Amino acid sequence: MPKVKFVAQDFMGMVANLPAIKVDILYESHWTCQAVFRSLPPIAKMYVLRLLYIDSVVKGKVIDEWITPEFQSKHRIAIDKLEQLRVLLTSEGGREQSYKLNPRFQKQLRQALASGGVSPRDSLSSSIAIRLPSLAELDSYAMKQWEGVLLQLVSTAFPESAHDVSSDRFVIETFQKAKLLDSGLKLTEAGFQFLLMDTSYQLWQIVREYISSAEDRGINNVELIRFLLELGFHVVGQPYNRDTLTNTEETVLEELKVLGLVQLQQGMKHRWFIPTKLVTNLAISLSEASSRYQSEGFIVVETNFRLYAYTSSKLQIQILRLFARIEYLLPNLTVGTLNRESVQNAFASGISAEQIITFLQQNAHPHVAKRQPSVPETVCDQIRLWETDSKRVKFVPACYYDDFPSKEIFEKVCMFARDRNGLLWEDSSKKIVMVQADLHEEIRSIIRQQSSYKR
Amino acid sequence: MAKSNDIGQDDVSQVVILLDVNPYFWGRKSIESGSSGLTFNQFMQSVVLFVNSILLLNNLNEAAVVAFGTRSCRFVFNSKLQGRNDKLHSSPSSRLLKHIDEFLNTEDALPTSMEQTNINESSLLSGALSLALCYIQRTLKSGQPHPQPRVLCLQCKSDAPQQYVAIMNAVFSAQRSMIPIDTCAVGTEHSAFLQQAAHITGGIYMKPSMPEGIFQYLTVVFATDLHSRRFLQLPRPAGVDFRASCFCHKKTIDMGYICSVCLSIFCKKRSSCSTCGANFSQRQPTSIGLKRKSATITLS
Repeated sequence: MPKVKFVAQDFMGMVANLPAIKVDILYESHWTCQAVFRSLPPIAKMYVLRLLYIDSVVKGKVIDEWITPEFQSKHRIAIDKLEQLRVLLTSEGGREQSYKLNPRFQKQLRQALASGGVSPRDSLSSSIAIRLPSLAELDSYAMKQWEGVLLQLVSTAFPESAHDVSSDRFVIETFQKAKLLDSGLKLTEAGFQFLLMDTSYQLWQIVREYISSAEDRGINNVELIRFLLELGFHVVGQPYNRDTLTNTEETVLEELKVLGLVQLQQGMKHRWFIPTKLVTNLAISLSEASSRYQSEGFIVVETNFRLYAYTSSKLQIQILRLFARIEYLLPNLTVGTLNRESVQNAFASGISAEQIITFLQQNAHPHVAKRQPSVPETVCDQIRLWETDSKRVKFVPACYYDDFPSKEIFEKVCMFARDRNGLLWEDSSKKIVMVQADLHEEIRSIIRQQSSYKR
Repeated sequence: MAKSNDIGQDDVSQVVILLDVNPYFWGRKSIESGSSGLTFNQFMQSVVLFVNSILLLNNLNEAAVVAFGTRSCRFVFNSKLQGRNDKLHSSPSSRLLKHIDEFLNTEDALPTSMEQTNINESSLLSGALSLALCYIQRTLKSGQPHPQPRVLCLQCKSDAPQQYVAIMNAVFSAQRSMIPIDTCAVGTEHSAFLQQAAHITGGIYMKPSMPEGIFQYLTVVFATDLHSRRFLQLPRPAGVDFRASCFCHKKTIDMGYICSVCLSIFCKKRSSCSTCGANFSQRQPTSIGLKRKSATITLS
């Protein structure tokens, strides 16, 4: 079955893809070095820490001995990752391979260790403290902004319900670049799937597109990455002065405001920005095993395919509309049913059964979340069955052979393929056969062998 | 340890560091060795860097430091409490150093009771250990997702036999709640207590052969989180000194007598147990009540 899935590339994958010179520029700041360091797999972190205060070149053999023999694969992954990110530089001295930490990275990380735990810029004096939002206010502000962004996406899918959604050109453009919207402002398959993902994943998607499109808008992407990584180290809810920022950072800040990553405020003398928890969320989602930012669930699904959603958020109701038929809308409760028609609609727009089920599980109301399973099995099974209904054709990569020199060779090949369970189709009168693609090499050698034998 | 409450990531750890700031040890050391060897300043620098590197490893990591001297012990640093009272500008390391300073001053000012004046130079490890375990228990029982806890004990002074029972009780309670105790004997001698503590709780014991390079030991061995320990080669115990201290004179003994009722250890034969009061019958001098205990076991 063709599964349309996002490339799960993370922030650091992007860094690793930058040209070497740009990576070196990134490592000029110790904030980026720290962020990169934190994103590494646990063993790789240990390796960096061990090498941090060693100035000379270390032989590869020494490092290989650090791991217990049965976990060699983990060791290779760690070393590869370090090399990709240019944290570890290899040098071929003589016959043996030896390693060294990237000197810039080493210097900056040492500095980070020595200074330890201060935030990148000083927060403003407490004279403006009265005007600062409380943490709860800040959270709701961030969520409101973020939902606003997603609503713009949803509203294009359901234009009839979108009378009061103001759209932002910058956001729509980013969506288009991420291929969540097509040029006619229609939601794509990827767009539908996007809506069912969790917040940190969505945020990362948007930010990734934002970075890769930065060059076109005249923003240096290295500087942008550096600023975003640095932002993750600010303390949530503290005001930071905007007057010390560069022009680029100013523009970026304005756009991040739209996404709800920062709140901007202005006083008599100063202008300042306040990072919200979405920023730290972004920083956390940098690492591979991201601990998910959890919001309270709201959905109860019953065995009779009824779905109760305790929410008044327009966005969440719109998302439910993707795969459920909404029956009643009450002030704090939405009731709907899952039926064949509604779910098939979702499949038609490119959402898979698994995605619907995970969405229902992830957003299960606290009361049912404790139950195992949180979504009744009958419902899950039925959704999967509905999906297989619509997907009766299976795709298998295959190779096509014809023009066999003799009947014998043709039959040998058929026999071989049948023995390996790889025969898909044959026509003995025309001597044509279709075999699974992974058997190709072996079949080729058989044919070659046979025909040379003939001669 | 409630596995269900773990934070999603594998390598998130909470490290409570016990720091021996015994003035007798450091003072004598500076007199004896002059400028060579590990000085208190170097030691503190290494510890500060180590705390910073723990915090750098993961943004969810927590570190706390308990300082212990001869008479008292106290929390001097906790990364979780980036207090609103503290100025935000002050870095964690400067806070740590400031509080160590305060701790040393208050310890100096503590009144010495008359009995204790006859030089009690040993460090109060048992108190510090209990303090650390209590703190860890609090986070374990808070019901919220918590990092994997472990204790790192940096002891400089040699063992104090009179604390044997208290330390062992703390160690066994750590074992019950599956908290590894890593131990590092910074001083000149091997420490039997630290070896036992690490052995019982599944931690790592090490005595650096070059104390000047303590930072490298700390980062290579003790910074390793519990998750990575399964994969990395770490120092294995060469042998553990299992000798116990007797309850009557607090001496470390190879052979002794042990109460059959409560398992208290004595260096001399007694007619009744001082701990549980069991009376050992005199009519059967072949010692039904008292058994000889041989206690020199070395693990290879």
